[in-house]
Amino acid sequence: MINEILNSITFIYPELAVSIFLLIIVLVDLVFHKDKKYIPYISLAGLVITGILVLNQIGITHFAFVPQLSAVKKYGMMTIDPFGSYFKLLVVVTSILIIFFTIASEEVIDLKERLGEFHALIYGMILGMLVMISASDLILIYLSLELLSLSSYVLAGFLKLRERSSEASLKYVIYGSVSSGLMLFGISIIYGLTGSTNLYVINSLIQGPQINLFTLSFSSILMFVGIGYKISAAPFHFWTPDVYEGAPISITAYLSVASKAAGFALLIRFIQTGFTSFISEDGYWTLIAVFDWQALLIAISILTMTLGNFSALWQDNLKRMLAYSSIAHAGYILLGIAVLSNQGLIAVLIYFFVYMLMNIGAFYVVMLISNKTGSENIDDYDGLGAKAPFLGVALAIFLISLTGLPPTAGFIAKLYLFIALIDANMIVVAIIALLNTVVSLYYYVRVLKHMYLTKSEREQENITPSIGSLVYLLVLLIPILFFGIYFTPIVEFARSCVSLLGI
Amino acid sequence: MSIYDVIFYLFAILTIGSGYLVVTSKNIVHSAFYLLFTLFGVAGLYVLLAADFIAIVQLMVYVGGILILLLFGVMLTNKVTDVKIRTGTIHIIPAVIGTGLLMGVIVSMMLRTNWKSEPGELPFTTTYGLGRILLTDYVLVFELLAMLLLIALIGAASIARRDNE
Repeated sequence: MINEILNSITFIYPELAVSIFLLIIVLVDLVFHKDKKYIPYISLAGLVITGILVLNQIGITHFAFVPQLSAVKKYGMMTIDPFGSYFKLLVVVTSILIIFFTIASEEVIDLKERLGEFHALIYGMILGMLVMISASDLILIYLSLELLSLSSYVLAGFLKLRERSSEASLKYVIYGSVSSGLMLFGISIIYGLTGSTNLYVINSLIQGPQINLFTLSFSSILMFVGIGYKISAAPFHFWTPDVYEGAPISITAYLSVASKAAGFALLIRFIQTGFTSFISEDGYWTLIAVFDWQALLIAISILTMTLGNFSALWQDNLKRMLAYSSIAHAGYILLGIAVLSNQGLIAVLIYFFVYMLMNIGAFYVVMLISNKTGSENIDDYDGLGAKAPFLGVALAIFLISLTGLPPTAGFIAKLYLFIALIDANMIVVAIIALLNTVVSLYYYVRVLKHMYLTKSEREQENITPSIGSLVYLLVLLIPILFFGIYFTPIVEFARSCVSLLGI
Repeated sequence: MSIYDVIFYLFAILTIGSGYLVVTSKNIVHSAFYLLFTLFGVAGLYVLLAADFIAIVQLMVYVGGILILLLFGVMLTNKVTDVKIRTGTIHIIPAVIGTGLLMGVIVSMMLRTNWKSEPGELPFTTTYGLGRILLTDYVLVFELLAMLLLIALIGAASIARRDNE
């Protein structure tokens, strides 16, 4: 018993490191409450250590926390596998980028006294996401989802004096509690059907003949509601624009990348572990014939991307526009899962890496401009190309990459997605996704038009970013351009991380 | 109808009836008091299911803690007690269709499903087994729960503190 626990601890070092640094941040915040300027550096140090620990785990495939008292002593509550390590690395890298993001963001600098809480809550989110990515037990899944949600509710409303921020937080809480309640209902039905909360045990039990398909489908849909809310898939996306607009911009960027990545990792693990009977040689997953995940995922993803893209057309606030664009991107990524093959999974992994770079980059430029002008309205971007040449070019590249045009990495991400779709003979779906991309071109290019072709009516001083911001943007821009041309390393890395711990 | 069924229906009626009054009452203090009976009824159902630990927790945490805090909160904010809450219904037709469908699905699911059941005697007390399993098989869940509570505390303190600008 104790051996199993001690042995399992060696597999959760990243999560432990995050927990310990969370406590350190809380203590430092308490002890040195006069001077808080070191807190961001402590959290950076913690993340770097966590990142190294995750890197050490890449390649390991193992169960942790295998129940010793229950009848089935094979499957653990947590699964350490390359797929999970990839997503964990993604979350940690995103978090590091976001900490640098907050160091430059005026909104967060103005917090001063509350900086400690801010970082502690970010760490709460990270812990939730890391556990969620490798959880293979429904109780653990629910708990980590709640940990992630609870921290993000507070962070979304962290600028209490701003009315929009409080509104964002309240909306987030209400939508979040409804969907997590529905998910909990789904979990309880699955437990009632199978008598187990472990995804691997559930997988073997639902292959039996006495499973009621109607009930299982209902509970699967309820589970999907909870996850769909996290990844803001339509029709559970209503909170997204308001929360993204009201939250501090660094948190918006964080929610749109890391929290989504964790949600997608959970969805993939849930379907792959819970419902796949075997994986064929060419990498296609054969699902247990109990619930048509493919139809659900295709329907939801087409709805999500179409809604996201068409709503983005009319947005004048850049944060809101990027919120709708992130909904649309969730739709594309869902298609990668809907293929139900390893090739689709590779496409998802590549897409997320690129999406992280370009989305954080776009939000960073929006943040720098909002630092100066105090708003994110599209009119503030008039003539920006002349006033701040570097920022203009950087934003242009990020937006072109978000559209998915060569020679940026966004093109590679979309290319692999479409290849996976066409390989699986989902031509109609691929065409719909392609048409959606064309629609998205309009609202991304509209920003470029404002930057370069519209003359500003007001006289504004030039915006010169600091050296730190320049370096930050270059760190994001260089991979986007580099992987747009030479993309073998990332594809190879994604291919090596595609395997989940199977049945 | 056995005595067990009678007690079950008593608690069920108590829960549903007071739950209805919670959402229809126009006075927020009355709503809070009706909630007391709802939570109490649920605790009774737990007792009937031989889940003694959960029943006690339900009484202590929900009835004893959360509800009292709720009442304090309502009564100390003196403006709230006078506010008449709007309890009217809008979009009645879509709402009826939606909830009717959902209820149909749930009822048919409840009746038609082979729920998993394991033969065996009801344990005399669940606390021992629960404590044992929480600190062995589910120790990770237990520890994560501690972190969740810490985050909840930090979050609550962060929301409650007064900001001056």
